[in-house]
Amino acid sequence: MRVLSIAFNTFRENIREKLLYNLLIFALLMIGSSILLTRLTVGEWDRLIINLGLSSINFFGVLIAIFVGISLVSKEIDKKTIYTILSKPVPRYEFLLGKYLGLMITLFVNTVVMVAGLLAVMAYLNAPVTLLLFEALGFIFLELMVITAVALLFSTFTSATLSAIFTLAIYAVGHLSTDLKQFGAQMDSVGKAALNAIYYVLPNLERFNLKGQVIHHVKISGTDVLLTTAYGLAYAGLLLVLASIIFQRRDFQ
Amino acid sequence: MDMSANSAGSSGPASTSHEWHTHLSSRSWLGGILLGLAAAVLLATVLGLQMELDQRHDERAGRLESLRMLPRGEVLRPALMGFHHLGADIIWLRIVQVLGEQVVTEQDYEWLSHALDVVTTLDPLYIYAYDAGGTILAELAHRVDWSNRLLEKGMKANPAAWRLPFTLGFNYFFHLNDYVKAGEYMGQAAKIPGRPLYVDTLAARLYVEGKSPLLALQYLEIMIQQAEDPQLRAIYEDKYKEVLIARDLGTMDLALARYRQTRGRNPQTIADLVKEGFVASVPEEPFGGEYRVDPETGEIESSTHRERLRLHRPPGANSSQE
Repeated sequence: MRVLSIAFNTFRENIREKLLYNLLIFALLMIGSSILLTRLTVGEWDRLIINLGLSSINFFGVLIAIFVGISLVSKEIDKKTIYTILSKPVPRYEFLLGKYLGLMITLFVNTVVMVAGLLAVMAYLNAPVTLLLFEALGFIFLELMVITAVALLFSTFTSATLSAIFTLAIYAVGHLSTDLKQFGAQMDSVGKAALNAIYYVLPNLERFNLKGQVIHHVKISGTDVLLTTAYGLAYAGLLLVLASIIFQRRDFQ
Repeated sequence: MDMSANSAGSSGPASTSHEWHTHLSSRSWLGGILLGLAAAVLLATVLGLQMELDQRHDERAGRLESLRMLPRGEVLRPALMGFHHLGADIIWLRIVQVLGEQVVTEQDYEWLSHALDVVTTLDPLYIYAYDAGGTILAELAHRVDWSNRLLEKGMKANPAAWRLPFTLGFNYFFHLNDYVKAGEYMGQAAKIPGRPLYVDTLAARLYVEGKSPLLALQYLEIMIQQAEDPQLRAIYEDKYKEVLIARDLGTMDLALARYRQTRGRNPQTIADLVKEGFVASVPEEPFGGEYRVDPETGEIESSTHRERLRLHRPPGANSSQE
């Protein structure tokens, strides 16, 4: 209950951010621009709409997750409002969880708006809408859940700027982790073990990338969907627990 | 009187504030005009410089260069961090723009081969890029080897795409004159589910008939039907007309041979063949030109296409040249 009230407060706070609207408008413009681009291309024009749409939703979702996510905690500290909250009988992990859920609500509303834009464009151009598209969108949201948790984790112990840089770095490495494993396979045993360790610890964000499957109509099995969903939720959960542990020990002066 | 004095008195402070206001606004007017002028001048400068810079650098050459200089797909893919499908789309879009700008005159099409390789490495399942790219490489760039390499790469990644062996078969049939290989690829295409029925007929006929203009025309009709893009369709339509010429020349060569046999000389004009009943009529030249006969050598040629398409001659006709 307390978690939810913090979450809704966070959501209300978030939707006052101008940054959010800038990013949202830009995303909608990008999605809309595919109407123009399909006229310029040759062959398979609907893949361009889907690619541009899903990529915009993904990219701007990640930007919102990172840049709103890093300020969740640091803003409270800067404004010193954190003292009033933490002086009440609210466990710190509940505070963090509330903040996280609040941003997830914001991201969900944002994603819904962007998806509505994409569906409108697709309806306008008579592009077929498939179930796979929604699976891909669900996976993008899972990625956003992990990224938000990463941003929140960093924001519990560093400044907002550093958190943003770290989270962007994790995002980049998360998409390259499969390559790390491949490089490791060509190294000696020590290097292999080290790179393997990094591979398994870092989030494999490429798992949440279904854009190729959507445009090429490659179905994915239900088990894969379930396992990947479980992976995403477990990873986000792990990060939230780590964030709570760090936040618990932090001293506010 | 009293009223006016009263009103004048009351308007005293108001009028001074008004004066002050107009004073300020006239000043800000001036400032506004100056700022507006400055903005206009700077805007004109920016636009002028932009145009000047555009002229100094050949935009098209720049775009070609950027495609030529694309990093290899294997390198670009990880750098795109999960957005490699969009990357493939954007590069494809650029290729299409450069190709569509004008009839490409470049002798060197290496950029195209490279860019297509990058696109298909970023998105190995982009069947249309292999298919259309393979056609452009063979027809516009006249590099059948590159075209075949791209199509083979596509076949490896997409064994279920019948268009790729179909187009490969087309290359072997038209460009390499290897009817056995063409038949093999067509046979491969004929095994893939989802193909149109005519693929099977064509495969069968390729094995049996080899080089016949009728078969070539049928092949091309299919390619024209299948082509979604007007530019590609135009390429095939031109080719179709060239084969029509080859077919016409073939039939007229036969008539000419009979003419020589009976008359012991070459006809003076092509109309002689019709007049003296060796052919029913002179076919229409598909490009809008005409067919001519050289009375000296007895060669028939088209006024638009002097070079004969060497392959599609019915067996027996003009065998002295082969």
